[in-house]
Amino acid sequence: MDSEYAIEMQGITKQFPGVLALNDVTFRVKPGSVHALMGENGAGKSTLMKCLFGIYKEDAGKILLFGKECHFTGSGDALRAGVSMIQQELANCPERTVAQNLWMGREPLTKAHFIDHKRMHSDTVAVLKSVDLNISPETRMGSLSISKQQSCEIARAISYDAKVVVMDEPTSSLTEDEVVHLFKLIRQLRDKNVAVIYISHKMEEIFQIADTVSVMRDGCMIGTYPIGDLTNDKLISLMVGRKSTERFPDIGEDPKTEVTLKVDHLTSAVERSFQDISFELHKGEILGLGGLVGAQRTELVESIFGIRPVASGDVYVKGQKIEKLDPQTLIKSGVGLITEDRRGSGLFPLMSITSNTSIPSLSQYLNKLHLLNHPKIDTDAKKYNADLNTKTPSMDTRIQNLSGGNQQKVIIARWLMTLPDILIMDEPTRGIDVGAKHEIYLIMTQLIKMGKSIIMVSSEMPELIGMSHRIIVLCEGHETGVLEKKDMTQENVLRLAATFMK
Amino acid sequence: MANDNKTGAEVSFFGASLKKAGKFASKYTTYITFIALLILLAIMTNGQALRWISIKNLIIAEAVRSFAALGVGMIIITKGIDLSIGYVVCLCASVAASFAQPADYAGALYVGKTFPIIVPIIAGILTGLIFGLLNGALVAYGKLPPFIATLGSMSIAKGVQLIYTNASVVGSLKPAFKKISQGYVGPIPNLAIYILVAALLVWVLLKHTKTGTNFYAIGGNQQAARVSGIKVERSLMIAYGLAGICYGIAGTLQASRLGLANSLTANGMELDAIAAVTVGGVSQNGGVGTVGGMMIGVFTMGLINYGMTYMAINSYYQQLVKGLIIILAVYFDMRKYSKR
Repeated sequence: MDSEYAIEMQGITKQFPGVLALNDVTFRVKPGSVHALMGENGAGKSTLMKCLFGIYKEDAGKILLFGKECHFTGSGDALRAGVSMIQQELANCPERTVAQNLWMGREPLTKAHFIDHKRMHSDTVAVLKSVDLNISPETRMGSLSISKQQSCEIARAISYDAKVVVMDEPTSSLTEDEVVHLFKLIRQLRDKNVAVIYISHKMEEIFQIADTVSVMRDGCMIGTYPIGDLTNDKLISLMVGRKSTERFPDIGEDPKTEVTLKVDHLTSAVERSFQDISFELHKGEILGLGGLVGAQRTELVESIFGIRPVASGDVYVKGQKIEKLDPQTLIKSGVGLITEDRRGSGLFPLMSITSNTSIPSLSQYLNKLHLLNHPKIDTDAKKYNADLNTKTPSMDTRIQNLSGGNQQKVIIARWLMTLPDILIMDEPTRGIDVGAKHEIYLIMTQLIKMGKSIIMVSSEMPELIGMSHRIIVLCEGHETGVLEKKDMTQENVLRLAATFMK
Repeated sequence: MANDNKTGAEVSFFGASLKKAGKFASKYTTYITFIALLILLAIMTNGQALRWISIKNLIIAEAVRSFAALGVGMIIITKGIDLSIGYVVCLCASVAASFAQPADYAGALYVGKTFPIIVPIIAGILTGLIFGLLNGALVAYGKLPPFIATLGSMSIAKGVQLIYTNASVVGSLKPAFKKISQGYVGPIPNLAIYILVAALLVWVLLKHTKTGTNFYAIGGNQQAARVSGIKVERSLMIAYGLAGICYGIAGTLQASRLGLANSLTANGMELDAIAAVTVGGVSQNGGVGTVGGMMIGVFTMGLINYGMTYMAINSYYQQLVKGLIIILAVYFDMRKYSKR
């Protein structure tokens, strides 16, 4: 029997110790539709998808694929049934070729049961063509850009004749041009009657690509709406469950006071990274660093902090030249860095909130015998987290068990505990839900009122414009302009971000 | 109605305390396992296992391994591994022994020479330190995977030992040297005191110093540790260096305990030590582990050995059982720390 829905999840309930992650959720997707699944982090989107793919077993409810009940036992199983997942973090073998990745686990075989390389090659060419990818099947996967790897992943889904494709934050590391290309592919899929489930936090994208939107909040399905019935504000209020108030707090005027940090003709030791960057940061100022992916902003701030090598140029903190750029020296001079990649270079996942908060500041907590003053560490770590309103069952909880927003607060608490004057925040709200984002903005506002200075790298245009006193824009490692408050428009930032120099 | 409420509260109270008990159990699994084993063994042996003589023998048997376990425990906390333990301990034992032979012994490595008792001790420990620092340098600065780095140094240590001793037994050690391990303070074996002191020192290091905390941070997330201003390379040198000192002590004590050293001394000790700390809850994922756990792990393995010997299980089978225990311990470890 046929159903009008490609995927039908009925009354899905999933309980984890202490939390009801999904509460009687019903989610239906029609074929030939781009269906956005929205909700704050922790709303239950990923849990729902994990139930779909059989990574979690739902406690109650059933899943129908074209009207037939199905139980997948993992993404491989789902893929064979025509349900494909394009992950936010791509899971491929970077050292293997595109063809090998595409046919992994189902390589075409000759009669003698050896791998049929010829057919694999020609099949790959054909599939790649369907996603407008003009590369050799023998290209090493890891040598491709993220966008092209993603296209390969979509090609793989197509080669499985996928009927349902789930995309989780597919644009998080793509440039604008690449997003355009991706959307073209998504529309092609839709026209082939594929059901596309699109998960994203980016409102603008949803209005561009989706035709239907389902909103989840606190483990419940709030509703499913045609895109025409929604506005940006309405969508936010559905997700947050309250009226979206002022998106950004008032950061006040550009203070233009004393200079706390000066970067002087800094050039990376890595070829084709940033070159000859100079700027000054004032006390109480938020300096935004804008640019497209590949603008080398992360490379710049991490080099200032001494994690990446510098070929020439100097950094001055409060007038003092930093002789050797390394994290120890920078921390001592009162600089902190909240890295972009929270999981990769921020969290100590298995360690407690207390340990995660205190690690860079332990030198301040040594007694005469050079032993750690644990009671004082405990109180201070607790205090800083309480100030930031970190929500955690206890200070001994492993940080990996907190939500993204709360993890980020712990990382901010970590750096505040080092008593910094300058805080470098690289994508401070990446992967954080709307409510927690606003809290982070409020914290930033408080910090500058206390006379601290912030360098903020952000790829989110409204955030960059709303939360900066000044914006420096980079393009492929070159400084292409500085925008004062009055000139800050999305157009201006984009124009500078795309000013390619030779 | 009021009655219903009360029942509800009671149920939730019961639920909460059950949950607490579960949490407690998962936190102290290693300790509970140890005590359960001890009780089991006591019942099986009609209380023999709990007699002082048995406990004393257990301590003496496990003392040298404890040092190896403390050393490799620190390394595993930094998310490293050390395969060189067995042969490094063997080399340290041989070096220590060679300086503890009497002058009049014709088979001595240094015939006609005698050294003060401090010389073999220092020589043994120093040898351990050198190999520890070698491993540390390969891992920290050479950026070699610890598995490979220590696999190489394992073979080097074995080669050096064979060259140094010419593949012969270094024996007939001086009584004064043998007394280091074999002596007693009152009823308490010297070895028991050494372990206690060593465990205490490592506990202070791991729990109460910045250096120790850095080991956990590096094991937890090396990149994050770097960003937090930890000198990762230097910390790794310290961890491997300290482990080397532990192996040096282990070797010296082993030579003293047995009164000799040869190329089979401490054979397979890397396996025993890694197994013990893993059973003791030091995670191969890095960043997790306590001194209490390491010691309990060593003595749990000791009890299992003791029990199997008591039950007269063939030693070939003991080897097999040990292998299974390691696999099980790591299996549960991986499950415990993977996300739900």
